[in-house]
Order: sequence, then structure tokens, then C-alpha cells
Amino acid sequence: MIKVFQFSSSASLERLTGRRASNLEELLILIETCSDSSIFYHTFSAFLKLREAQVPFNSDFAIWVARMLNERALAEKLTAIDLSEYDTLESLRNRLIQLIGRHVKENPLSCKKMANEPFYLHDMTRVVYLTDHFAYDLASFRALLKKISIYSFYFHFIESRMQPPLKTDNFSAWIEESLEMPSLAQKIRRIDISIYTLEGLRSRIIQLIDGYSEAQTR
Amino acid sequence: MAAPTLFDYREVVGPDIIEELTILASHVGNRSIKMVNSTAVGGGVAEMLLRIVPLLNEMGIQTTWDVVEGDDEFFEITKRFHNALQGQEDDFQKKVLETYLAWNEKNHNKLCFDEDLIVIHDPQPAALIQWHKKRKNRWVWRCHIDLSHPNQRLWEFLKPYIEKYDAAIFSSALFSPQLAIPQYRFYPAIDPLDDKNRALEDTYVEEVFAKYDIPRDKPIVTQISRYDPWKDPVGVVRAFKMAKRYVDCRLLLVGDKAADDPESGKILARVREEAGNDTDIHILLFSPSIAMEINALQRGSDLILQKSIREGFALTVAEALWKRRAVIGGATGGIPAQIIDGYTGLLVHSVEGASLGIRRLLNHTDFARELGENGHQRVKDEFLITKNLKRYLLLLLALDKLKEGTIFLA
Repeated sequence: MIKVFQFSSSASLERLTGRRASNLEELLILIETCSDSSIFYHTFSAFLKLREAQVPFNSDFAIWVARMLNERALAEKLTAIDLSEYDTLESLRNRLIQLIGRHVKENPLSCKKMANEPFYLHDMTRVVYLTDHFAYDLASFRALLKKISIYSFYFHFIESRMQPPLKTDNFSAWIEESLEMPSLAQKIRRIDISIYTLEGLRSRIIQLIDGYSEAQTR
Repeated sequence: MAAPTLFDYREVVGPDIIEELTILASHVGNRSIKMVNSTAVGGGVAEMLLRIVPLLNEMGIQTTWDVVEGDDEFFEITKRFHNALQGQEDDFQKKVLETYLAWNEKNHNKLCFDEDLIVIHDPQPAALIQWHKKRKNRWVWRCHIDLSHPNQRLWEFLKPYIEKYDAAIFSSALFSPQLAIPQYRFYPAIDPLDDKNRALEDTYVEEVFAKYDIPRDKPIVTQISRYDPWKDPVGVVRAFKMAKRYVDCRLLLVGDKAADDPESGKILARVREEAGNDTDIHILLFSPSIAMEINALQRGSDLILQKSIREGFALTVAEALWKRRAVIGGATGGIPAQIIDGYTGLLVHSVEGASLGIRRLLNHTDFARELGENGHQRVKDEFLITKNLKRYLLLLLALDKLKEGTIFLA
């Protein structure tokens, strides 16, 4: 039986921590000791911050390391982290620590290099809420996908990956389990979230749905 | 003209954004907020409250706004507070601090604080909380000024009062000090439907330029700012003159006469001296300016400068970006939050940088247009009044559950 998909959305209130880092050593301490939600804010929430302006870097950590410390190799490695491989924030935090720690070990001078401007550690309070939009089948899902706010899209396609027990986004999970369309779900799951903006991701999913529907009617 | 309603903003920000605001408001429910500041007219805080209070009420959050009273001595002291908190040297004698506290106590005794959330704006009424000991509601201090380098003696005096609040709000991470209470970031915001920002007829824009005798025969570069050394109007004239060797254009400097600022006359004289008899430089002094005319002058310009050396948040940048103008801003204060260099405008660090920016943008008009478009989107995402409405709703929800990182609304 098809389970109706009710769209949710989320909003974040940015919290200031008063904590900052001026070099890699201090950044490492911040990452080791900050809250899970700070890690989330500086990685996943970067999707909401005009990421096309910061291309190719995709997280606040990578942007700061590249722009303020000019440690481009480390910035590239931080950007190359595949966020879809991490299903807990702890494991993502450990990966960040490992990459920065290794870079510092291999490039001892980089450790004390002072940044032009500090990295300001933020945190956030998220509020998650239901909207009045319901999808009953692939057609209504596609129609709503174009209509929902970017925050709703972000919640289901990006934020939901970090909510146990799911290790994937809400959209592909519903399409696979409820609509029983595993091949479409698989295609959506394979979208490379590192290289698209949110609007780009939305368009890509719609494109995949259209391609799938067209193939079914042939 | 009637004040805009929430419905009017649908056209500007999109129906999805207003829809989600109303969902959040329904979860907040029947709550009340009291805003308290020190002036009912003039200044960015009053301007912002004038617009946001009716909109919060429209969403079902009963919101009132009170203004604290004081005599000339009190406001003289709080003006010194303002400057000292932004880094100016000052020596506050015990009597001065006692006068400040006495007026806060008087105001506390006069006002009623029964609302669910009390938002105290800026340092003038910050000590009100001292006399409100057994409170059941939440108190938040909203600081609109740059506290990154405060006068230490004054900050040590004020900090214990600030830490009595449940939370504090700052405009940027750059401005926030270390505090023992939670801190939130609310960017300042503009209202896209007020006279300063709403869409205008081209004929009106033409009329305003004609009124001030500014020909539109060549590209116009404009800075709209007080005649204040931190806004570097002299540097703007120099940058313009350097650029003019390569590109034919006009410079328009627009500023309000600040009655309480004796320095502004001296700066204006220096600007005029620097401008010399160049007929392509137009210097306007208003007292005060008319919002719709400022809007027209921004819309009729090809390029907007905000070449500040030191800055608070500089919402003039957001105003110009909202109008899809290409903007060159000094890399200071809140300007880099609005201008992502090379994407929503150009950031500069010197007169030479500003000059190069003028030459680049007046010669590459497609690039200038692209910056303006991106800037418009950036303002739409972060610096509109609707975003601040959302932040107030989220704040009400967050203060209910201060320890929770994620709040799920059923």
C-alpha cells in the first residue's frame, strides 16, 4: 500500500559561540570540542549559503582553510569528503580531525600559520515542522517538488541523511519503499550532492523522474 | 499609503516563504512580545521596529513597543556608552554610572513587563532587568552595535547586567563578546516594501535626478553615507578621480547633515576641497533626506560605493544590492557578510582598490549586472524583514527549549 508522503521543512536559528580559531591548530581544537550541531552547521548547512559563490569548496571549514590560510591541498581534501558516506556526525567529525591532523603532521609549518580573518564557530538550533503538502504518487510528488520551499527540499534531501535510522535521503527512501520504484530510487541516491547547488539538486531529481516516467510509458 | 501586510510580501519573497512563516506562527501560538528601545523615531532600530511590530501582530504574536524616557543628561551618557562600546576611549565616573542606573530604575518602575518575551534593544535600557528579579518570562538583549572592542571599564560595568538575560542577539559573529548566556545571530534587515526600497517608476527617478541637477549623460557612481571619516568620503573622491582618467563618469555623494556631529562639517569641507571644481562631482547634503528620493538616487546610479574603513553593518549595501546595483564595499564590519567578493559585489581595502573596481565595473557592464543579480538573491535569502520575522518566531520556540539542538514540532 502506498504511504502518503507529507513534506516537512526545517529552519535554523544561528547561535554564536564566541569561540574562534586563527590557525589550523586552533581549528582542530574547535572541531574536537564543539557540539555535533556545530559540525552539522559548518558542513551540511553550507548548502544553504549560496554555495555556488564558493565553488569548488563546499563546507565552511574548506572555504576558510582555502581563503584565509591558503592551504589549498587541505581545502581540497576537506571538500572531497563524501558526506553521503557518514551516517553520524561523530564519524564525520573524526574524518575532519583525521584529515587536518595528518596535514599538520606532514606540513608542520602550516600549523601555526595565522589566518587573515578568524574562523568563527557557530552553532544552531533547528526547528523541524510539517507542511500542508502531501504526495500520493510519483506525479503529485514531482509537482510538489517544484513547489516546496528550498528549506523543505534541503530538509528531506540533505538534513535527513543525518537522522537515524536513515542513512539516505527521505525522497529515495519513499520512492523505493512506498512507490516500489527501486531503480529510480537508486538513481536519485547516486546524485553527487557535492557538486550541485540546492536548486541544481532539485532540477536533477525532477529530470530523473521525467526520464523514468518517459521510459515507463514507452 | 497603508502599511504592507504579510500578504503583500508574497510577491516579493515567494508564497512558499510566507506559507512557512504562518506554519511557524501557528506553532508559536498566542504569545506576546514587548520591544523596548530608547527612541521612537530616527535611527535604524526605530525604523526596523516600526515595520516589524505590526507584522508580528498580524501573525498573532501580540507585540508592543515601549520607549524609555530620560533627560538630556541620560541621553548624553548613553551616547557616550554607544561610542565607548564601539571602542572609543572614555572615563566613566561613578556618578555617571549612577545616573544611568537611576533612569533605568525609573523606567522599570513605570513600564509593565508581563509579556512572554521582553526584547531590550541596545545599551540604553540594558539595566532594566536589574529590577525585575522574580521573572517568569524570558528576557533577551538585542545588541545592534559592534561590541568586538569595547571600552573595558564600561563593559565590565555592563556585562553583569547582560548576563542576567536569558540570551543575547548580535548582528554578526564579529561583534559578539564571550558571554555566559546563549547568543543568537540576527542579521539586520531591510524592508523591500518601504519607501527606501520599493520599486519606483522610471519617470520618478528621472524627476529626482533633474531636481538635484544631476545629468544622466554618463555613468553615475554613488556613495550614500554620512559625512563621517569612517565612511571615507574623501577616499571616494580620490578613487573617482583616479578612475576618471580611464572612464568618463560622474560621482554623486549623498549624506545627511548630522546635527549632533560637529565633525561632519569639517569632513564635508575636506570633501569639497578634494573635489575642487570638478563639475562631474555632485555633493548633496540633506537634513534630513527623503527615503523615496534616496531610493531613486540608488536606482538611477550605475554603481554604488560603500567605501567604509570601519563599519557597523552598513545596510546601505543591502539596499543597493536589493536594487540589483553593482556595489563596491570596504572589507570591514558587516559588509563582507553582504558582499561575497566577485560574486555579489567587490570588496576593496584601499582607495586604489576602489578606483580599480570602478574602472572594472563601468567597463564590464555584463559582469556588473551579474553581481547585481546575485546580490539581489543574497539579500532576498538573508537580509529582508521576512527573514527577521522568521528569526523572532524561531527565537520564541528556541527559548522554550534552550537545551535542545533540534526541536520537532508536532
